[in-house]
This record gives sequence, C-alpha cells and structure tokens, in this order.
Amino acid sequence: MAETQIVVHNLSKTYRVPGREPGLAASFRSLVRRTYRDVEAVRDVSFTVEAGEMVGFIGPNGAGKTTTLKMLSGLLHPTAGQARVLGGVPWERKPDYLQRISMVLGNKSQMLWDIPPLDTFHVLGEIYHVAPAELKRTLDELVELLEMQELLTKPVRNFSLGERMKCEFVAGLLHHPRVLFLDEPTLGLDVSMQGRLRRFLAEYNRRSDVTMILTSHYVADVVTLCPRVILIHRGRLLYDGELSRLAERLAPFKLIRLALSNERVENEPELPPGADIVEQENGRLTLRVARSAAPSITAHLLNTLPVADLAVEDPPIEAVIDQIYQEGDV
Amino acid sequence: MRYLRLIGSFMRASAQNELAYRANFWISLLYALLNLGTGVLGVVVLFSQVETVRGWDLPATLALLGVYLIIGALRNLFIGPSLNALAGLDGEIWTGRFDFTLLRPVDTQFLASLRYWRPLALVDLVLGAAVMRLEQSLTLPRLVTFVVALGAGVTILYAILLAFTALFLWSPGFLFTWAFDAVFQMARYPVGLYPGWLRLVLTWVIPVGVMTTVPAQALAGGLSAGTLVGSVALGLLVGASALFRFGLRRYASASS
Amino acid sequence: MNQRGGWALIKSTWLSWMQHRSFFFLLAFMWMIPPLIYLFVWSTAAGGKTIGGFSRGEFVAYYLVLILVNQLTYSQTNWTVGDVIRSGQMNTLLLRPMSPLYGTLASEVAGKVVYMAFMIPVTAVLALVLHPEMHVTLQNGLAFVPALGLAWALRFFWGYWLALLAFWATRADALLGLQDSLVFLLAGQVAPTALLPGLMRQAAAVLPFRYMLGFPVEVLTGQLSTVELWTGFTFQAGWLFVTLLLFVTMWRTGVKRYSAVGG
Repeated sequence: MAETQIVVHNLSKTYRVPGREPGLAASFRSLVRRTYRDVEAVRDVSFTVEAGEMVGFIGPNGAGKTTTLKMLSGLLHPTAGQARVLGGVPWERKPDYLQRISMVLGNKSQMLWDIPPLDTFHVLGEIYHVAPAELKRTLDELVELLEMQELLTKPVRNFSLGERMKCEFVAGLLHHPRVLFLDEPTLGLDVSMQGRLRRFLAEYNRRSDVTMILTSHYVADVVTLCPRVILIHRGRLLYDGELSRLAERLAPFKLIRLALSNERVENEPELPPGADIVEQENGRLTLRVARSAAPSITAHLLNTLPVADLAVEDPPIEAVIDQIYQEGDV
Repeated sequence: MRYLRLIGSFMRASAQNELAYRANFWISLLYALLNLGTGVLGVVVLFSQVETVRGWDLPATLALLGVYLIIGALRNLFIGPSLNALAGLDGEIWTGRFDFTLLRPVDTQFLASLRYWRPLALVDLVLGAAVMRLEQSLTLPRLVTFVVALGAGVTILYAILLAFTALFLWSPGFLFTWAFDAVFQMARYPVGLYPGWLRLVLTWVIPVGVMTTVPAQALAGGLSAGTLVGSVALGLLVGASALFRFGLRRYASASS
Repeated sequence: MNQRGGWALIKSTWLSWMQHRSFFFLLAFMWMIPPLIYLFVWSTAAGGKTIGGFSRGEFVAYYLVLILVNQLTYSQTNWTVGDVIRSGQMNTLLLRPMSPLYGTLASEVAGKVVYMAFMIPVTAVLALVLHPEMHVTLQNGLAFVPALGLAWALRFFWGYWLALLAFWATRADALLGLQDSLVFLLAGQVAPTALLPGLMRQAAAVLPFRYMLGFPVEVLTGQLSTVELWTGFTFQAGWLFVTLLLFVTMWRTGVKRYSAVGG
C-alpha cells in the first residue's frame, strides 16, 4: 500500500540570531544596540514520502536536518512553503494530528526520572488515549522486542544510556503512531547497542508499517536502515534517492586494487595519468580513478604492469558520507 | 471528563515520584515547621512591643500569616511544581525537553499547569489553617466569602506565575519566578502596613497584597472590595493565558 | 601561599560573574527584600512615637545598614562548597596546587563586588526616599570596621564548616535550613536584638548569629554603650576562634575521610 503520507513543498525556515562579536568593545556596544543576523536553516526543500518508508536525512552539522524534522512534527513554524503530513498541516498542532505522530530525540529524555519506566508509560497511555488493555498488549510486544523486561521496575535514573534509549523507544511507540521522527536516536551509544536498536527499528517497521524519518550522524544507521536518503546541506536538498546512487553522484570514482606478481617493484611504478595512489604496501596497490576512465586505465595497467590480481570496486558508502560530514561540504 | 482522569494520572505519578525519596518527607516536615515557627515568632516579636499596627493586632496578623501559608501551600501543591518544571536552567524550555510537552495531543497550558504535584505541601496547608485558629465565631456567609476571596487570591497567583513562565519563552535565561518569590514574601504582612506608594504597587502592579490581605479581611468580616478582587482575578487569568499562548506561537516561530 | 594564582583566580571569577550580572543582581534584590519588609513593618509600627528607643527614622537607618552589612557578610559557601563536595568535584580541586580555600575566597570577593555594584545605588535611592535618621560618631565609625571584618570572617568560616558536613552527611541541608531560621530570628533581622523578648534576647546575646550580622549594624547606628561594645567584640572574637577550630578540624578529618572513601 503506497499512499503518499508526507508532502513537503518549498519548505523554508529562516530565523534571526542576535549577533555576538568577541571583544570588550563589542560587548559594550551590544548593551545599547543589538544586531541580528538572518540564518537560513532550511531553503526550499521539497519531497514526498509514502506510508511505511524509512527515510534517512543526512548532512553535515547545522545543515538543517533537525529543523526540517521539527517543522514536520509541528514544533516549528516554517517561514515559507507548505507541508502536509497524514493529511494535516503539522504546525497547526491539532490534537488529532499529534495523536498520530511521535518523536524520539537522541539526547533528551521524556521519562520521569525517579520512578520506574512503567509508571511513565502509564501516564503517556493516559495522555494518548490508549485503552489499558491495548496499552498492556503494546507494551508487552515492545518490551519483548527490546529485551527490557528487567528494567520495568527500576527507577530510570539508574539506567545506562542504552537502557534509557530503549525506554524512549517504548514511550515513543506505545500509542501506535503512523509516523515516527527520530533525531539522532543512537547518539552516544556503544556499537552493539546501536546495532540492537537498529534491528529493533527495522523489525518494528516491518511489523507495523510505520513511516520513519531518521537523522543520524552515524553512517551505519543510515546505511543499515534507510534504503532512501535525503541529503541536506546548508539548508538545501541536494539529493533524494537511493543510497547506492548517492555514492555515484558524489564520488564519481572507483577504486582499483592491484596485487603485483613481481615483489621487487620500483618505488614509483609507472602509472597512467588519472590514477592516484590511495594505498601502497608490499606490492599491493589501491588506486583511485575516475569512474568513466576505469575501463581504459584497467586495460593499461594490465598491459604495463606485472599484475597478479586486480579488482575494480565502488568506494565504500561510509567513506563517501564521512567525507561529506568531515569536509562539511559536498 | 477526560481532563479529570488525566489529573488523577498526574497526581498518581507525582505521588510515586515523591515516595521514591523517603528522606524527603521528614525534611519537608522539618522545613514546614521551621517556616511556620519563624513566621509566627516574627509576628509575636513585633507585637511584644506594640499592641496594634494600623488597626491590625496579634490575632488578626497571625490569621493573615495563616492565609499566607495556605496560599503558599496551594502554590507548592501543583502550580509551583508544574510551572517550575519549565523554568530555570535545568527546566524544560532551556534544555529543549519542552519539545516533548509540545508534541502531546493535550492542551499545553493544561499540561504545564497541572502536570506535577507535591502532595507534601498538604502539610503546609494544615499548618496554615491551624495558625488561622478558626475558633473565632465563623458565620457561614463569612466562611463562604473567605473561600471565594481565597480562590481569587490563588487565581491571581496562578496568573502571575503563568505570565512569568510565559516570559520564559522569550528569554529562557531569566529567573522571573525567583524575583516574584522575593516580592511574594511581602504578602506575609497586611498590605496596610506598607507605605502608600508600596501599597499601590502591591495592589495594582504585582497584586500580592491582595492575595493575602483580602481573604484575611473577609475572615474578620470587613470585606468591601469583593467583586473588585474577583474581576481583577479573572482579568489577570485571561491576560496571562493569552500571553502564554502567544509565547508558544512565538517560541515555535523563533527557535530552531 | 600562591598569591599570584589566587589573584588571577579572583580576577577571572569576577569577569565571569560580571557576565551573568543580571543573575546576581537578581539574587541581591531577593536578599534585600526580607530586611526591607521589616524596615517597613517596624517603621510603620513606630509611627510618630518610639519603640524601645527607636524612632521611625532610626528603624529605617538600622535596616538600611543591615541590608548592606548582610550583603557584605552573607556566605555562599554553604551552597558552593557543599555542592562541590556532593558532586565529587572536590577531587579536582584537591589536586590543584592551591588550597580549595582560594577558589571559595575568589567567589566571595567576586560576588561581593558584583552585589555591591547593585546594592549601593539601590540603598542610596532608598535612603533618599525613606529618610533615615542616623548619628555616626567617629568612635562608632572606627569600631564599625573591625566589627564588620570579624562578622564577615565569622559568617564565612561558620558557613564553611557547616558545608564541610557534606563530607559526612549527604543530607546536611536540613541543618542548613535550621541555621537559616536561627540567623533570621536571632541575628537582628526580625527585629534589632535589643527589641527581642526575654529568652530570645538572651539567646541572641550568647549565640554567634548576632555577631555575624546584627552586631556591626548596632555598632554603626550607635545603639551600644562602650561596655556593650567591648563585650560584643569579646563574644565576636571568641566565636570566631571557636569557628576556626571547628573549621580546621572538619577540614582535616573531612579530607582524610573523603580520600579514604574515594570521593
């Protein structure tokens, strides 16, 4: 069933930030006159999402991912543009709409601190109109999926970060939302816990067909969970589509891995132009070549060098995305 | 009604939260008694030197102290804990957890005002009532006027605190409620004791004087400004609610 | 004694406090209100007559001086040191080549400067509005300075040793609440100690609280005869000595226990 659930059209968000320059003179001046800068957090973003999809928002820090997510969940009013989620306008914040969405924030907790999580779940069940029998059923299912039975009766303040995140997921899903927004859900967790939570999300999506939009710094989150990514950079949507093709778009090169049969190789094997050495060690070479030039360079190499083994590969997607994050640029 | 059930659910969760710390009970009890003791002694010391001050004598001033404690107790019962959860440097607005509150399919003002309860404040309530020493001949009409005046006082308090919390949405760093707390202390004594200009401020600008003095006067039977106080209370409530909602809109437009 | 380090610490603490001046002005405003309330209550009660030898104007003078003295002697160490111990930061501080005392002193000095920046103008305005009546003799003025200094030291170290209780009891705040009440009642806030009824008056003369706050005020406003002045100084010095003993003992044993338990 592919109904279009989320429609975003030319969404933009600009907000004003008071300017604060360093230095003593500037701080005195700011007492009298405040200057403002306009920050364009989101610019003309448009996309659609269908029911049950899992979409990953990626992009460097400050790119506008969280801002977009907050507009879709109704927390922020856009400066321009429209969006409809589940047929309603998010920022009108109608109870009907809020009933059917949910948000999990990676570094903030909605649990009551000093009491067991079950008590918070009950309050949330009350707030979200979940009938007690239904709530019990849902909690049982979620708790089993997340393997957190022993946590239910202990006060939340004693939990590790991973255990708390499990509670956050239950809190976010106990009212069966149709759309789930996740902002950095695996932030700060160790690798094995990240893996467990990812498996949970994938399984839950499979069972319940909930639509998920996820932002994450961890490339592995996106690679594992989201067949579709939206790349946002400096507020603009730069790419919307399959992850694998993103690599093609952004990093139009291939890697050629060679093993040379002649161990004693001169320091500088003669390479055709357009081939850059990425790694070189003990007769094994990794070269980076433009995608289009790969076939011809491969042929050249086979002709001119004593090649024992040769493979042509796509660059790992993690490296591509990491490069975007690190360089802060595309 | 659904909202009543929600309140019940909140009260239950808050009670569980309180009970999580057993030591809290004894410490709170101690504080309540200290609060009472110092208040009473303060008044006693004053009246050990004079008979009356501007028409107020020892029993009347003690009764006013009782009203002050009762209003303070009602504030600490739910208004204070709920609104304070939003304010301050570890409050929801500053830390960003307010987002969760905004996401609930329940009216935000309702949540912000009634979410957290401190049942231990009931101790203060009892102590305050004890100080009032309701052994004076209380006719039913006077009791009713008193309760109404008290209700108006609490409504004004709520409106002021709500307005301050709303200001937090503009300037999350500033501790408006602290400033108010200091001024609220002035309500311990009859507003008539303060010099003219201060009396005006405490009646019209920050109506803390009205909160305690009017119910105390109602108790003694000398209430003349009943309807005035009632309408002031109502007006403030409407104004504060409007400010809060306006603040929410601005918060959603201006933050990131 | 690391003087340069200490001075640098004071300067940097002051700069960071000035950043958040609105916060501290607010605190100063809050601390000013209770004495103000009693100023109004007593001056109204006095009306045109006198109470216990105080005229209306003299009450005003007493409380305005009290406000300033209170601000100058108020000790934050209860909160700052206690918090530091409870949060486990004491480890970091004990490792530094400066006694943690310096940090506390730095906050004290920085704080006082910031508060005074607010207090002095406000008190001046209040004086203009409220017309205090005060006759300061040279003798009283001179005696005021050591009285104030001793009061500050007494209050500082008294607060410090109480805060050190946090080494033992995680819930020492009940004691602090009690001590706040005692200060409130017996140090000259609720009423000048001369006006307190019977038993309270005697308790106030003997306990340290008056010597932290009320005593310097009484000196400056000329309430005390020469005999009373010297008796007061004796009590003040005596209590300071006792407090310092308590402080040093608590510190030594506290640090030992703290490191033994592992913080």
